[in-house]
Formats: sequence, structure tokens, C-alpha cells
Amino acid sequence: MSGLLEVEDLHVWFEPPHAAPVHAVQGVSFELRPGERFGLVGESGCGKTTTILALMGLLPPNASLAGQVRLDGTNILAGGEDSVRPYRWKDIAMVFQGAMNALNPVKRVGWQIAEPMAFHGVAEGKAALKRAGELLELVGIPARSAQRYPHEFSGGMRQRASIAMALACEPRILLADEPTTALDVMVQAQILELLTRLSAELGLSVILVTHDLPVVAQTCSRAAVMYAGEIAEIGPMDALYHNPRHPYTRLLFAATPDLYGDDVVSSIPGSPPRLDRELTGCPFRPRCDVPMDRCADVHPRLLQVGAGHLAACLRAEERADKLAEVR
Amino acid sequence: MRRADYVIKRGFFALVTIFVAITLNFFLFRVLPGNAVTDLARVPHSGAALRRALTIEFGLNKPKWEQYVIYLKELAHGNMGVSFVYQQPVSQLLLGDLKNTIPMVTVGTVVSIIVGVFTGVLAAWRRGSIADHISTNAAVFAYAFPTQWLGLMLLILLANYLPSNGMTWPTAGLFGPEPFWQHLADIGQHMILPALTLVLTAYGSYTLVVRTSVLETLGEDYVLTARAKGLPMRRIVWRHAVRNALLPMVTMIAMDFGYIVGGALLIEVIFSWPGIGLAMYNAVTERDYPMLQGGFLILTVSVILLNFLADLIYFRLDPRITE
Amino acid sequence: MSALMQEPATGIEPVEKSAGGAGFFLTLLKDRKAAAIGLGILVFFVLLAIVSPYISPYSATSQSCAVFAPPSARHWLGCDDGGIDMLSELMQGGRISLVVGFAATLVAMIIGGGVGIISGYFGGWVDITLMRITDYLLVIPDLVFAMVIADIWGPSLFHVIMVIGILEWTGTARVIRAQVMSVKERVYVKRLRALGAGHTRIIARHILPQVGPLLIANTVLTIAIAIYLETALAFLNLEDPTVTTWGTILEHAFERAAVSSGAWWAIVPDGICIALVCVGCFLLGQAIEDALNPRLKIAHLSLTRWKIRTLAGRGADAT
Repeated sequence: MSGLLEVEDLHVWFEPPHAAPVHAVQGVSFELRPGERFGLVGESGCGKTTTILALMGLLPPNASLAGQVRLDGTNILAGGEDSVRPYRWKDIAMVFQGAMNALNPVKRVGWQIAEPMAFHGVAEGKAALKRAGELLELVGIPARSAQRYPHEFSGGMRQRASIAMALACEPRILLADEPTTALDVMVQAQILELLTRLSAELGLSVILVTHDLPVVAQTCSRAAVMYAGEIAEIGPMDALYHNPRHPYTRLLFAATPDLYGDDVVSSIPGSPPRLDRELTGCPFRPRCDVPMDRCADVHPRLLQVGAGHLAACLRAEERADKLAEVR
Repeated sequence: MRRADYVIKRGFFALVTIFVAITLNFFLFRVLPGNAVTDLARVPHSGAALRRALTIEFGLNKPKWEQYVIYLKELAHGNMGVSFVYQQPVSQLLLGDLKNTIPMVTVGTVVSIIVGVFTGVLAAWRRGSIADHISTNAAVFAYAFPTQWLGLMLLILLANYLPSNGMTWPTAGLFGPEPFWQHLADIGQHMILPALTLVLTAYGSYTLVVRTSVLETLGEDYVLTARAKGLPMRRIVWRHAVRNALLPMVTMIAMDFGYIVGGALLIEVIFSWPGIGLAMYNAVTERDYPMLQGGFLILTVSVILLNFLADLIYFRLDPRITE
Repeated sequence: MSALMQEPATGIEPVEKSAGGAGFFLTLLKDRKAAAIGLGILVFFVLLAIVSPYISPYSATSQSCAVFAPPSARHWLGCDDGGIDMLSELMQGGRISLVVGFAATLVAMIIGGGVGIISGYFGGWVDITLMRITDYLLVIPDLVFAMVIADIWGPSLFHVIMVIGILEWTGTARVIRAQVMSVKERVYVKRLRALGAGHTRIIARHILPQVGPLLIANTVLTIAIAIYLETALAFLNLEDPTVTTWGTILEHAFERAAVSSGAWWAIVPDGICIALVCVGCFLLGQAIEDALNPRLKIAHLSLTRWKIRTLAGRGADAT
């Protein structure tokens, strides 16, 4: 593999007190190439947020993790919290959900941007604050706003400031978790444009997590669709859009709200399965519009269906088999 | 400037509360049935001369509302009446007592806040650990034992090692005739037991308040951000979680001032500390109503002013106050 | 996001459960040791108070041994300054102290609960007026105030109960008001109102059950404060001198030189009883409050950390 970041067979499960364990991520593998924008799509409750939090080891104490996350070939999670900490923000930084209270309300924005610099040896004191101002300029906020507090910013400005903060230590990878949720449409577009621009200008690899497939389609060159803690389909954006091989991907595109309204045209009935119990067969079967009898018993594996294009669907499997037979 | 409005608003609230307290003071002692000041027959020291003096001074023969106006006027001039027992102005007596109360209560409160904050942060940070259990349970027990019991226990255990009474200063305050340092050392020695009792009685609730507020902030999103930044745990706790937890802490600590004053009152009684609390206790025993009234007013106004101070600190700590 | 950290990917959003009901308390007692211990302590003392007249070894008012006799086989906790058996006195004192604590709390709950519900439910100027009064009362030092009122009214058990009740309702009123305001905004309550349900009915049938656990937590915490205040007032000679409470026992010990006589047994057990009841109240009340505090459920920082583990036959790959 030629990935900058390679995720291999990642599992995350939570053991809440007085309840069955929740297996939120079930054997996810993908790679992120240098300078690439990669999308991670799915409904809420499909494990995508847990997946990227796991990449940085940002899990709660009741979580367990298996598998590898390799940065330049080094498994950064091997030693638990202590082994990931040096990589956080220095190599992998994160932009949290717009709706989140991700900025500390009682600290000045500039201070918050400058804070990690000293710890990762990027800059200190005055220099760090100056750099914070420059970063704010870079994301389109006047440098003097560094003196202000988060509550004095609008939602869009807060999100820009979060992005500036993520760039503080010149990371190579930026994880963006629903960065445009809770922002209005115009601001959403601006933030996405900003992310695209920064990624191109700074050679930044981006993982964009969203439930919004068109957002990924606009921004990313490759994407993975997650369902029930697994990858349902992964491949180049073009292939996913024009030739989806998993019914979930197809239905997600169909469920896309049209451009001029936020009404969902046709959403997929039902909701993702609970992950605190063992699933047999295909997890998507109850909501699938083309289920087969076999789907109830056989768990589909990710199989190659095109160039760099994999899908976990028995129908895709059949076609792959047929293709093989024909050959 | 809207931030200024906040200070004005809180200041206004403090003023109104003081006014309410002053009025309450009047009502409690003069208007309620079985009221005290007019019912001079119950007062052991009330001679005919005193009665006449009071009647004229406070207009006791006039209608209630006129009495109220006279009361307000006199108070504005610092006149709280004359002690039945000591035949001296109440304000003068209580001011002397206040000089003794303030150092003891200040030392006790400051130390208990420091102890409370440290044990509370420790308990929250190490939630579920042995340190958490020890500091939480110790705090619950310290809080649960009555103040006067803690004081008596300290007397039993430590009275042989530390002086509990017999200080060289009755009401002289810090600047008596003796050399300053010798005097200060004497006060300090005598202050240990009362102040320690106050710490024991007060710190527990601070520990619990601090623990809960810090735990609440540990669930905030910016703590996750701080973790994502790769900051060391110690820094996340102090700079992010505790800094934000300070806000509810200030409010809760301010709300406890009334409790501290009550505790201090009991402590002064136990250790014969010549402060306002002891004066009020004696006033109850001797039916010296003007003293009781004056003590109530001074303590209540002090607590209101301290609450206003807490409001100002809150204002300094929270940049979000705009409306 | 925060919800995800706690309960990731369970898919179905939990249906909003009623906070009230026996179910809540059963889970509480099962999940939180502190709650069970607290309840245990309280039940113990209440039972003791009920049966104490039958099991009390000596009279609590007349002399049965020497003045300040130390603990012995016949008098387990020794005797006080009047030669009265301490154990019997403690039992008798506990009865009265608990009665004072519970009665004063009842008064406080009726006032505080009433003010809180009215204030939160009706809002507007009613709310503003009531909350202002609450604010003023909150800053006035309660023991000092209680001392003044008790002194003016004269020492009696009933007065002590009323004084404490009148002073200690403010916290309850605030907590209940906040809760009522949030419940009031819930969709089903709004719908009921639109359907023309009366205020009393909505309050009694739909809001009170929701506020219930919090009200109970508050009640329990107020009992501790009431008992504490009673001992303090008794200590300041403002309790009826003819009754025996845990407060007057301490007061007698202080007044009659138990300390200089070295009669620790006249002081120690009494304080432990008061503290135990207060701890019991506190543990139970705090456990209920913690269980209801959603902000305590998430912690992004903790000493224990996530673990790296190998997969043992779990997950989809196992098939």
C-alpha cells in the first residue's frame, strides 16, 4: 500500500456499565493517500465518527480497540493513549462538528490556536500568537480577531477558527467530522471551499466525515460508505456515483435533498441496526430494496468490483463471480 | 457597554437586598407580635431612664411608619441604638467585635477554599480512584458533623497543646499596647483552633461542589479538543476543565457565605472568641435586643457584600457576560 | 457527538423515559452503592426512633447512675452531667431530632415545592416576584436569621420547626422551578394544554411525576440541613429547655463542662449519630441528583483509558 495513513481491520467496541457491549466499528480498513481528500459517509450511528476518533485514540475509557492505524508505516496506536499523543495535532489534527462547543468559551481564540504550538515545538510565546493571527488570516478572519472570545464569533467564523486551530502545527492529515453540520447553506459552501483550497495549497490530506453524500461528491476524490460499523462500499467518487454496487450507496444518493430545499426527497425507511448484538447475514437486508433469501444468512464480504472499487453486497459478489466465470 | 450593565445590575440587587434586610430587621423587632424592642418589660436591664431615652430616640410612642423613618434616619447616621447591657452605642461595640471576627473568618474561609479546591479537583480528575473515594468521603463526613461538635472535639483533643482562650486582647483589635509582633503571634496561636474548626466545617461542601463542577466540564467538547491537541493531562485539567469549572464554583462558594457566618457564630461561642457571634449569643442570653438587631444587620450586610464581590469575580472570569 | 461518545451507534434513539416511578429508584439503589448505603442509614435511624421507647435501657429523664460515669457494661455509653444514661438519652434525642428534621423539611417542601411549581409553571410577573423573594432569602445567613426569629418568638419545639421550615425552602423552590420550566416546554405537555387540560390536572398528573425524583433528592438533603440547624439553635439555647434532642445533648455537654471533665462519651456518640443521619441524607440525595445530571455521564478525560485488545471471536468476521 502506498498510503500516508493506513487503517487495517480496525475494531472499536464500548462496554457501557449495566449494558451489552456495543461494537461500533467492525473491521474497517482503508488508506489515505498523500494530498488526497477522502470521504467517510453514512447515517448517524454507523460508526463513522467513532472510526475517525479512533484514528487519534480519542476514545472514552470504556472503549477497546483492535487493529492497526499506521502513519508512514508506524502503528501509532500500539502503545495506547501515550503512544498517540505525540502524533495528535502535530501529524493529525481535527475539526469538530460545527454544532459542538469545541472552542473553550473562556479563552481567547488566538490563545487557543497558539496553545498546542509550544507542546509540539512549532512556536512559542509571541511567535506562536503571531502565527495564530496569520492562520486566522489564512482562513479568512482578520488577525486582530485573535483577541476575541468564541462567543463573539458567528457559527461560520467559529468553524473557520477551528480550521485555523487545526492547522496550528502544520499537520499532514486533517480529520473533519461533520464540519458543516448546523451551519446554513451559504456558510456550508464557504467552509467546504476553504477546506478544498487549503488541502490543495498545503498538500493536506483530508478525511471528511459526513452524512451528506453530495458534500463528499463535491469535495472528495474517493470515499467509503459505512453501514453498521463496516465499510459497505469504497472506491473513487466517480465509480460510487455512476456505478454504485451496494444498494445502500444507491439509496443514499437517491435520498439526497435537492439543491433548492432541505426536504429529503426520498429517505431510506428504517434506521441502522443496533450494534450491541450480534448480526447475522447482511446488516442492510431489512432496509434493502433488492434483498435475496441468501442475505439473511450470509454476511457479505468486501470484494473488488472495479478498479480500486470494493463493495460488500451479495449481488455484487454474484456479478463478480459471473465475471470471473466468463473470463 | 453591556458588560458594565451587569455590574450595575448586580450592584443594584445588592443594594436592594441590603434595604430588604434593613426593613426585615425593623419588622422582626418592632412590628411582629411579641416584638422585642417595644416590649421592654421582658428586658432585665430596662430602667425607667433607658425606657425614656429609647422612647424619645426611636419615637416608640409614634406610629409604626414614623418609627420606620426615624429608624432609617438613625441607621444612616450609623446609630443602631444603645446596648441594654453595656449602655454603650451598639455600632461602637459591634465594630470592635467585627475586628476580631474578620481575621478568624477570613483565614478559615481562605484555607477551606484552598483545601476544598485541591481535594475537589483531585477527586474529579481521579474519578473512581482511591484518592477520589477518600477525599469525597472525608468531605461528606466533615460536612455532616455539626460545627459545634467539631469544635468540642478539637477542644478535647488539642486543648492541652494549643490555647483556646485567654487571649491578651479583649476588643483592642490588632493594635493594642503590646509590641505588634508579640500581639500578632498571640492572636495567631489562639486563632488556630477556631480557624481549624471553621476549615473542617466549611471545606467539605467546597470539595463536593468543586468535584461536581469539574466533572461536568470534563464532559464538555472543548476538553475533547484539548485532548486532540495532544496536551498533557495536567494542563487539560487545570487550564481547560478547572478554569471553566471556576464559574459555578464561585457561585456556589458565594452561596455558602451564609453557612460560613453561621458556623463562625457557633465557633465563637465555643472558643469564647470575642467576635460578633459571641456578642449575639450573649445578647440572646441577656435579652439585649439592640445588640442582637445590630449583629443581625451587620452579618447580613456582610454576606450580601461578599455575594456582590463574588458577582464581580464571576464577571472577571466569564467573558460571555454581555446581557 | 457527545452522545456518540457515550452510547455509540446503538442506532435507535432511546425513547424519552419518564424520570419518575419506582423503576428509577430501583435502578438507582442497584447501580449506586452510595444511594443504598444512604437509604440504609436513614431506615436504620427511623426504625430505631420508632422502637426506642421499647428498647431504651433506662429513663432518658431521670438519674440512673453517677454524674459523668464512664461507659461500662451496664451503661454502654456512660452517663451525662445529671447521671442520665447516655444511650437512653441519645435514643430519646434522636426521636425528637428526627421529628424536628422531618417536620421542618415538610414545611420547607410545601413552601418550596409550591413556590417552585407556581413560579415555573405560570412564569411572568408571578415568577419574577417569587424568585426575587427567593433571591433575597438565599443571601441572608440562615442560622443568624433563625437565631433572631427563634429568639423573638421564644424557645419552643414548634417555633424551631417553623423557623427552619420558613428558611430552608429556597433551594427547593429554585431547583423545582427550573425543572418545571423544562418539563412545561415538552411537546406532550404543550399538547395537553392545547387540548384544554386544566392547570391543576397538568401539574398533578404530568409535571409532578417528572419533578418527583428531584423533589425527593431535595427533601432528603433538606432533612440534613434541618437537623443541622436544630442542633445549632439548641446549642444557642434557643430550643425548648425541657425537651431532649441531639442538639440539646451537645449543648448540655458544652455548658456543663463535659470537656474539662474529660467526658468524651457525652459528646462523641451524639455527634456521630447526627453525622450519620446527615451522611445518609447526603449520600441518598446526591446519588439521585447525580443520576439525574446528564452532564456527569460524559467524561472526555479520565484516568482510566481505552485499551488495545485482540479480537476474541467477536464481530462480523467471526461468521
